[in-house]
Amino acid sequence: MMNRIIKARGLSKYYGRLHVLDRISFDASEGEFISIIGPSGCGKTTLLKIIGGLISSIKGEITIRDNPAGLALKRRDIGFVFQNPNLLPWRNSLENIGLPLEIIGKNDLSMTDPKKLLKLVGLEGFEDAYPKELSGGMQQRVAIARALTFEPLILLMDEPFGALDEITRNKMNLELLRIWEKEKTTISVIIFVTHSIPEAVFLSDKVIVLSKRPAKIEKIVDIGLPRPRKTDIKHSDKYVEYVECVRKILKED
Amino acid sequence: MPVLFFICFLIVWELLVIFLRFPEYLLPQPSKILNEIFANSGRFLMHTGITMFEAVMGYLIANISGFLVAVVFAHNRTIEKGFYPYAIALKTTPIIAMAPLLILWFGTGIASKIVASAIVCFFPILVNTVRGLRAVDEGSLDLFRSYYASRWQIFTKLSLPTALPYVFSALKISTGLAVVGAIVGEFVGANKGIGYVILVSTYHLETVTMFAGIIMSALIGVLFFWAVSLIEKKVVFWQESEGGF
Repeated sequence: MMNRIIKARGLSKYYGRLHVLDRISFDASEGEFISIIGPSGCGKTTLLKIIGGLISSIKGEITIRDNPAGLALKRRDIGFVFQNPNLLPWRNSLENIGLPLEIIGKNDLSMTDPKKLLKLVGLEGFEDAYPKELSGGMQQRVAIARALTFEPLILLMDEPFGALDEITRNKMNLELLRIWEKEKTTISVIIFVTHSIPEAVFLSDKVIVLSKRPAKIEKIVDIGLPRPRKTDIKHSDKYVEYVECVRKILKED
Repeated sequence: MPVLFFICFLIVWELLVIFLRFPEYLLPQPSKILNEIFANSGRFLMHTGITMFEAVMGYLIANISGFLVAVVFAHNRTIEKGFYPYAIALKTTPIIAMAPLLILWFGTGIASKIVASAIVCFFPILVNTVRGLRAVDEGSLDLFRSYYASRWQIFTKLSLPTALPYVFSALKISTGLAVVGAIVGEFVGANKGIGYVILVSTYHLETVTMFAGIIMSALIGVLFFWAVSLIEKKVVFWQESEGGF
């Protein structure tokens, strides 16, 4: 059996009387790309924040390498990419990427060079550009590079390309796959929240389908598509089958 | 362009006064006013300088202390709730109503004018800084939490820069207020300053001098605003500033 990184057992969350998550259980092993998909407002973001240790008042158990998620957060094992790039407008690309290093303290471990990271996400030459000078897609690339600086074990992505147009979104998917499949990073698990079924199938090894609120796991679909993946895989019968399969599960809800 | 318009305005004014034969004690010619300023430049500069000093001192005291109080308010709701009504009360009391008391307490020298100026400048910086420090969006806060950032790091690297545009908008508003505070103080009791010059000239019906005083007081405000705007452009470079010259 592969090395288990994340273990979630019976995660439930209430906001006052509002029941958001209902007994969510799943595992994530080393090298797995997992998507979480579900109706809007079902609690996907909440689930992601629980996994990342940002929300701690919950029922159930969430561990990262057998330690509580809060500890993983303290150890800086977790990198977040949110839907909004949240770049600081008073910092240029390089300074934005360097933000986590400043906060953690540079002499802590061997950190990745921000310049190399900017190159990794395909933004060489934009070191001095301020966020307002960058397009939405470019801003999100900077945000991804920023999440990689402190070499996290897990990358949690909350609809990172949700605000982008279709063309840019497809390009960013390929870019993410390239980083995931070909570049050497410390990341061993990606959890990717999305609204888009094709995006989830194209990127993932597993798709966790959630029901509407209170969100339960409807099904976990294993995506048996080979890696590395290219755009032409979207024309294969298997891909289309997986997309249909996930769509059906979502519809039945 | 604004300069060109101003020159046209002066010419029209000059011509109107000449052709409609306005009495000088009501509306003097601009050329006479300018002549008055240059002929007595030493006197005008001295009084303008004093008013400027009072305004700048009051401005600095108010903005530094207002900023610090705002930081406390932004971090402690209890203290904010306890003191905020009094800050409002201070704001709604007209400075002109308080001025005689300030003269009584702080004398007819510059101290009372500095205090008057500080009182009117205090409120904008307090309100704006509190609002600015709270303007941090939830997403950025989550980002900092995900780095396990300390409260101090969140304050210096996120809240403070977020608040800066708000702070500067207060800093710009209060440039004019500072001058108002100083001149009001001078009206009530002083023997120096541009407010004193204006007041005395009304007693003697020296309208030319009065106009000269008004122009000098306007000049202080404009210069002050311009200087702060210049600093703002350097500091808050990532934001387009609204309004201004």
